[in-house]
Amino acid sequence: MVQQAGAVTAEDGAGRANAKSSLMRSPQFSSFVILVVLLVVFAVADGNFLSPLNISNMMAFLPELGIIALGMTLLLTAGEFDLSVGAVFALAPVVVMLLVQNAGVDIGVALLAGLLLCIAIGAINGVIVTKIGISSFLVTLSMLLIVRGAALYITQGFPLKSWDQPGFFVTLLAGSFNIGAFRFYTSLWWFIGLSLLAVYVLRYAKLGNWISAIGSNRNAAVARGVPADAVKIWLFILTSVLAGLAGMISAFRISAASPVAGTGYELEVIAMVVVGGTALTGGRGTILGTIVGALMLRAIRNGIVLVGVPGLAYNIFVGVIILAMLILHALLQKNAARS
Amino acid sequence: MMQEVLRLQNLQKSFGSVRALKNASLTLKEGEVVALLGDNGAGKSTLIKAISGVFPIDRGDIYVRGEKVSIRSTREAMDLGIETIHQDTSLAPDLSIARNLFLGREPVNLKWLGVFAPLDLAKLRDAASALLKRVGISKKLDADALVSTLSGGERQSIAISRAMQFAAKVIILDEPTNNLGVEETHGVLRFVKEMREAGHSVLLITHNIHHVFEVADRIIVMRRGEIVAEQTVADTDLLTVESLITGADLSALMKRAQ
Repeated sequence: MVQQAGAVTAEDGAGRANAKSSLMRSPQFSSFVILVVLLVVFAVADGNFLSPLNISNMMAFLPELGIIALGMTLLLTAGEFDLSVGAVFALAPVVVMLLVQNAGVDIGVALLAGLLLCIAIGAINGVIVTKIGISSFLVTLSMLLIVRGAALYITQGFPLKSWDQPGFFVTLLAGSFNIGAFRFYTSLWWFIGLSLLAVYVLRYAKLGNWISAIGSNRNAAVARGVPADAVKIWLFILTSVLAGLAGMISAFRISAASPVAGTGYELEVIAMVVVGGTALTGGRGTILGTIVGALMLRAIRNGIVLVGVPGLAYNIFVGVIILAMLILHALLQKNAARS
Repeated sequence: MMQEVLRLQNLQKSFGSVRALKNASLTLKEGEVVALLGDNGAGKSTLIKAISGVFPIDRGDIYVRGEKVSIRSTREAMDLGIETIHQDTSLAPDLSIARNLFLGREPVNLKWLGVFAPLDLAKLRDAASALLKRVGISKKLDADALVSTLSGGERQSIAISRAMQFAAKVIILDEPTNNLGVEETHGVLRFVKEMREAGHSVLLITHNIHHVFEVADRIIVMRRGEIVAEQTVADTDLLTVESLITGADLSALMKRAQ
């Protein structure tokens, strides 16, 4: 009896030590360290980086891409991705605003129509990818063109008149409040709430086990009775809906819906996700990593402006930093495999 | 007497104009290891996929313990007590051993939440540890270890113990010793013997005839979608079996060569 208890404790101790070293080696941890380093570098280089105004600015932009990145993380973990999110980000608010301004539809009904549109786009992506078996790269690339084209055509390329009537939905999606010297938007609550939900689903729920298993080895998951196609279709729908939600938040915040909003967001979002440590090939996803990745890309874009990098050179830096992150992840992965 | 566990009667399956399975019939008894042999394209894979619910059969009947059943999905096959271990594809490498063991049958709390129900992590880990201990590999393996860190033999052991854990009546092993080292192969064969002793029926698909003679009770040979021979291991020999597989009379050839 006594011996057994001793053995158990020893095992537990080993388990804890293991857990600790695996945390240190995990991709989200290295991303987190680099985020901290970046924040320190920017803070030292420019005193305004950590000023309330600048932090408020970063926090206003962060949720818009961050919310899409949460959906993209789940989708990537299941082994697929979605290039149409940037276009959906533009189309959803454009359709909602057109219905309200040109057709006199109630804002609530128009938002519902926008939601249904996002569900339809996601469902079409998902069904074509899973049932016809075309890669998500090709399907969602085509969808990007269709959706972006639709946004441009129905607006004739012009941004829609500003929407400045406050109301329940505007407050819900893009209201703002002050905490001390900081000004935050309600979108931050959306991002925090959705992040917690996503962490729960991926790490603790049955569905998360299925998502990881599908991305890791689809055939194995199917052989165990996991409805892989249905899970993927729902994840495509979720990603589209989150892209539309982010688009609405942005449109309400800046009081305008532009048909070219969100151009290039798909790649920025995927960069956030993989920089955080989620595998592009599926199976390994981390929501915490994605949050770190979203913060990092936001901080980089903001910080390099403050430290005086010329505007046209931004993307060089962003690209170099992303590449460095990915190389680091790959090296860590190799080390882990060897040990 | 040994009871009949699985009976297939006149199974047929075509893919377009290709008749992959023509009138295949076989029976599997309790605690029996049956080896399914045949060249590539003989219909072995089609047969086991039909039994394990990967795709439906066109015609024919399947009986489990004397009762006629229809198997339309992998889930239904599992619920009937038919577990299949596919070559190399049975486990998700990025998941822990414990999560793999219960994949698709996760123990959860708050069941009413459906797919959003939280995993019962304590139960998951305890059950996995108990299982690993029972099959004698607990010393080396931690239930929380990722499957990607395991060797091929260890992976097969995990997949096989998963099948045994759910008290499967029929365990189908599809090329279980592919890509395994000598020692690992012996481990898997030992497992097959243990399964028989525990009362499971095993359908073993393999290319390695030597393994068949080591563990199987009966041999079934398929050629071009048909079952062409059925023999007990005690009544046959290597050369005969090889002739049956290729369809050429090897023993006659050997005699002529001499």
